Order: sequence, then C-alpha cells, then structure tokens
Amino acid sequence: MTEHVVCKEEELEPGERILVELEGRDIAVFNVDGELYAYTNWCVHQAGPICQGTLSGTRTASFDSETLETTLKWEKEGEILTCPWHGWEYDVTRGDCLSRAKIRLITHDVRSSDGAVIVEI
Amino acid sequence: MGTSSYQDEIESATIVDTDIHLRVPTEELAKYVDEPHKGYLKGPFGSTNDIIWDVTMGEKIQHKKFETAEDVERDVMGELNVDVPIVNTFGKLSYLPQTDRAVELMHGYNRYLLDRVLDRNDDIYGLAEIAPQKPDLAAELIDDLANENQIVGVFALTTGAYPPLGDERYDIMYKAAEDNNLPFAFHASAGSAFKHEFPRQHQGFETWLEMHSMAHFWSQSMTLTSLIRNGTPVKFPDLDFVILESGLGWVPYMMYRLNKEYSMRRSEAPLLERSPESYIRDSFYFSSQPLGEPDNPQQMRQIIELLGIDSILFSSDYPHYDFDHPSALYAHLRNHFEEEERAQILTDNPLSVYGINI
Repeated sequence: MTEHVVCKEEELEPGERILVELEGRDIAVFNVDGELYAYTNWCVHQAGPICQGTLSGTRTASFDSETLETTLKWEKEGEILTCPWHGWEYDVTRGDCLSRAKIRLITHDVRSSDGAVIVEI
Repeated sequence: MGTSSYQDEIESATIVDTDIHLRVPTEELAKYVDEPHKGYLKGPFGSTNDIIWDVTMGEKIQHKKFETAEDVERDVMGELNVDVPIVNTFGKLSYLPQTDRAVELMHGYNRYLLDRVLDRNDDIYGLAEIAPQKPDLAAELIDDLANENQIVGVFALTTGAYPPLGDERYDIMYKAAEDNNLPFAFHASAGSAFKHEFPRQHQGFETWLEMHSMAHFWSQSMTLTSLIRNGTPVKFPDLDFVILESGLGWVPYMMYRLNKEYSMRRSEAPLLERSPESYIRDSFYFSSQPLGEPDNPQQMRQIIELLGIDSILFSSDYPHYDFDHPSALYAHLRNHFEEEERAQILTDNPLSVYGINI
C-alpha cells in the first residue's frame, strides 16, 4: 500500500470531487457531507468513466397492498452516482450498484490528515 | 417396438394440459347472456370475431367443433392422452370497444364454461376469463368464481388490452387473484385481436404466416415487459403468472434484455428490488406450445435448460390448427431429461401452480 496526497482538504468541499491519476490509475475522491469516498474511475458494467458521472438523488417507490397505491419518492440527493455511458447507478457512500446484487465499485481507503486528503492504493 | 414403448410412456405419464380452447358458438353463448347483448349475439353481426384470413387454407386444415365436456373427453382426454385438462373459453374480450358488452360476455362465457363443461365432468378444470376494461368488475368475478372447485385460475387476453396489462389500474384484479390463490394466465391472439393491437402491421403483412409468427410473441413480450416495469410481481409476491401460447425460445432473450434495460434505467422501474430475470424465474411460468422446431433438435434441450425445468408447463392449444400433440414436447424430454424432470413439466409444475390435487 502506498499513500498519496491528492489535494488539500480545503480544495475538496462537500458536494465536490477530485479526479487524479495515481500509479497509472484514474481515481476519484468525493466529499459527501464531509465524508470522503474514493473509487477507481471504472464502471463495473463496461468500464465507463463512472466517477465523471452526475451526482444526484434517485427515484424510489413503495407499494401499499391494502390501498393498492404506489408512492414515489426522490431520495439520497447528492449520493447517487450515475455512469455517463449507460446510466448504471451507484450509491457513492457505499459503492454499491443499485440495480445489481453484489456489484460494487472498486473502493480505496481515503482519509484527511493534517489538512491533506490521502488515498491509499 | 420403439414406437410402441414411446406411446406407452406418453399414456402412462400424467399429463396436465394448461391451454385448451373452447369454440363457443355465438348462438350458444347467447343463452348465457342478458339483454340487450343476447339480442346482439343472435343477430347477423353477433360475432366479435372479425377475422379476414382463412386459417384453414381452404379447409385443408381441419376446423373441429369443440364446445362441450364431451369434446374435451373424446379429443383431449382420449386422443391426446391428457389426464388433467385445463380449459379456457378464449372469448377474446380485451379488445372489444363496447365495455358493457365485454363485461356481459365475460359473465356469459364463464356461465357457459361452468354449465356446459365443468359441471358435467369433475376431472376437467377451467380458467375464469375476464374483461380487463373494467378491472373492478373483473375482480368481483374472480372473487365469485374462486368458490368453484374446478375454476383454478384467471384468464386474460393480452392482445388488444389497453393500456398493457401491467398498468396499475389492473392491480385490483391481481389482488383478487392473489387473495384467492388463483394464478393469472395471459394469452395472446392473432387475427382479429392482432388487427386491433397492431393495425398497421396487420395491414402490412401479406400472409397469415407472417402475422401469426409475430402475434403471440409481440403481445406476450409486451405484457411481460409491462408487468415487470410496473412491479406487478413485487406488488403481489404470492401471485403466479402464466404466459400461454408463445413458446419458450423468446423468454431467455427477454430476461437478459430486461436485466440490461433495468440496470440502465433503474429509476424508471423503482418498485423492483432485484433483477427482472429473478422475478421472471420466481413468479412466471411459460407453456410449451407453440414448441419451436430447430433444425438441430439438440437446441431445444438448451432452450429448456436456459429457461429452467421449474418454469415450464405443457400446453397443447387444442383444437387450434397449430396445436402441439404431447409427443412433440415429450420427444425432447425423453431424449434429454430424467424421468423426474419430465414429470415436473408434465405434471408437478402445473398441479402446483393451479393448486390441483389428483
């Protein structure tokens, strides 16, 4: 494992991301509400540039079997990363794919220390 | 000798046939229908079947009368060696524009089914045909007919149903079926129903061959897609869905295609909690007829394996001109599958889905 300083803490505000090349790999670090997450820029589907995709919320639904009513919701604003190639959605706080069981982005340890954002690969 | 033992095997197997169609003459149906629709049926324009093609090719292919319990006993339980026939009225109601007529014919067909067939032979089972134009009335009918021991499922024509049958307006029908432990069977149709659902294609195709090749697949793949997109199997997890008369080969394509589409646009099917394929494998059953006929028969084994023994039922489609004799499917089962697997398709799966104890 090698530690890499990616940027200064103040250069990565909540809601922002930074994309860097580390050891020949494209890696992105996301700041979501003050928490840091790092992923390889590689969609599990067909290797698309997932980390350059839109961060938004997503639609969820629930069904009431008594009233037969479906309730639609918009949830997790700013936490859903969508691949610009084919639209695969991932929860950026976990790396999980929303539509496929057991599919996750390639994750990396990331932390802030002494004002620096550090990724281990 | 080989032929004889083959026939013996078919005769000794317990065969459940999940798709047998009555041909109900308009003037006989009229006896089970109230006015003003009784009068309509008796008149010169009473038929709802406005087919313009000659299915029989100048009567070279037989078109048999098939309207009573005796017909089922003689042809299906006799000649076809079927032990458990599941009959439907095939009233083709879904595309009818006159809603009150569709609803009255729905009641008439089911009264006919009970009186002329089921009440005359305890070993024949039937499906309650519904008109989806009025989902609340269809649900009431399902609740009523669920009390009949020999009614073992619900039947809907998919071709011409508008909007497609996954729409939430139909949920009340699916809830009624689920509450009564009845599976919901979907059946497509060529000819008049196709003309309503796909009018340009009906006019554009030159022959029955083209229209009939596409009709069932188009309607059934549309229905399957609609049910999955709308999350109907999520809403009604204890309901079994049966797709009749479109064969098997297209199903793996749709499972994989829907998986792909779902992952690209998950938010457009937000009720789904797992892959479309997993719902299709868990909640849907597919009847064998029209059994595809690959140049290399080995490939039918691969199709059956792709879809899975658990998901397949036998159907003959008797007495329609493209019916499958049980031997068509049995030939593949005999060559490639163990006795237990054969019994699953021919006997155990359908008895379980339709809740029939023999």
